[in-house]
Amino acid sequence: MKAHRITAVMVRHVYEARRNFDRITDMLYWPVLDIVMWGFFTTYLGRGIGMQPEVIKFLLGATILWGLFYSFQRDMAVGFLDELWSRNLINLFSTPLTISEYVTGLILVNLAKAGLGMSAAAILAWAAYHFNIFPWLPELIPYLLNLVLFAFALGIVITGLIFRYTTRIQALAWSFAGLLAPVSCVLYPLKSLPRFLRGVAWMLPTTHSFEGMRLALSGEGFSPFHFWWGLVLNAGYFAIAIAIFQLVFSSAKNRGLLVKLE
Amino acid sequence: MLVQVENLTKRFGDFTAVDGVSFGIERGEIVGMLGPNGAGKTTTIHMILGLITPSAGSIRIFGRSMATHRDEILARMNFTSPYVAFPFRMTVRENLDVFARLYGIRNPKRRIEQMLERFDVAGLRDKPIARLSSGENTRVGLAKAMLNEPELLLLDEPTAYLDPEIALQVKEILLEAQRERGMTILYTSHNMAEVEQLCRRIVFLNRGRVIACGSPIEVTHAILKEERDEPALEEVFVRVAREARA
Repeated sequence: MKAHRITAVMVRHVYEARRNFDRITDMLYWPVLDIVMWGFFTTYLGRGIGMQPEVIKFLLGATILWGLFYSFQRDMAVGFLDELWSRNLINLFSTPLTISEYVTGLILVNLAKAGLGMSAAAILAWAAYHFNIFPWLPELIPYLLNLVLFAFALGIVITGLIFRYTTRIQALAWSFAGLLAPVSCVLYPLKSLPRFLRGVAWMLPTTHSFEGMRLALSGEGFSPFHFWWGLVLNAGYFAIAIAIFQLVFSSAKNRGLLVKLE
Repeated sequence: MLVQVENLTKRFGDFTAVDGVSFGIERGEIVGMLGPNGAGKTTTIHMILGLITPSAGSIRIFGRSMATHRDEILARMNFTSPYVAFPFRMTVRENLDVFARLYGIRNPKRRIEQMLERFDVAGLRDKPIARLSSGENTRVGLAKAMLNEPELLLLDEPTAYLDPEIALQVKEILLEAQRERGMTILYTSHNMAEVEQLCRRIVFLNRGRVIACGSPIEVTHAILKEERDEPALEEVFVRVAREARA
């Protein structure tokens, strides 16, 4: 892997973000809007019906973390879709750029974008709703890492599927994470799910990140159990995602899809 | 040989797009690859670029196999086609900057400016690609293709959208690069007069196979099967295209 080619991919997406209003909207508008909405809602819950302040922390913390997970997963797939929409794939892959360099560049630039969105949401939550997530960051970072790894695994599988089935399935880029939200226990604890769904939830790294987050925010400290479970699950999903992507990319080159995707 | 293609075959299911194609290109040669639509030119070029995996056969460039030395080979070559686009919101300069970084060019700003001047698009450097005409886009594509001073350049109908004056200018730049740096060019075009002017050798494809290979006059003799004093590639092309449709 060559650093200058990874940088080139990052620079390409930074230029795109600067000139494409959709990308700016994705990066800042939605995370901030989510916090505004949930912020007003939690204010109502706290002042209006006297809900415990702890629950309000959970809701705002979950909104910030889910925003990071969702935007990273979406931006991985949309970054690739940008190449399809602009018919740039042949130009890119007729250079020495390898697929692993391309994916690494996408990960780095999207981490920065998701980080910016999350920071904007966190600062707004602090400034407007007196919810300061920053003191908990040391305990939350391991869970954030698991969220990013899982978002990457999903993003790479969706990108692979777009390679194979073209833009016909591009809606997955925006919708797939939503499918996982109900069973990821973002806003409620695992025990509140119906029994038959708990097994599914248990197998998702997102569930362990949100369970861990709730423990941290309630002052119970860092949960190695939820972190390691999430990491082990991620290792499995990561390996499966890479295997699927390699298979699909090689099949796309065999079928000539790389030059027909446009 | 700088490029050695042997028994190259590409099958898509039951359809054979390229069928046992073999040819070589010497360093510094300009070779034309001709053939009617569906002859297998673009598929062959895409296989040379590593964008499509061949079903059989081998491609060696700079003495190395494309299957095992892709990155090393692609760093020394380049490609352009007016049918391939750039990210349309980004400006000309931003697009060229990305490609300069991909090729690891030293002093990219200077090189980009040189290429913009050379292809007469310096005034468009801060314009988004979306606002360029087809001809301007083609010239930006050519500027991209020359950024890394390639030893081998693959050009797919590079003058398709250019007016005759700019097309002439492009041909002069290509010939100059070939003379000064010994650049090797594989060129596809539907403009037979242009191919006769530029190319020392022609590889003529039809239905995925090489049906003639040699100088323009040799290809004319081989396909028309009659003695001619001058190359007649236009006539050759029409004959092959009609037979292909029949």
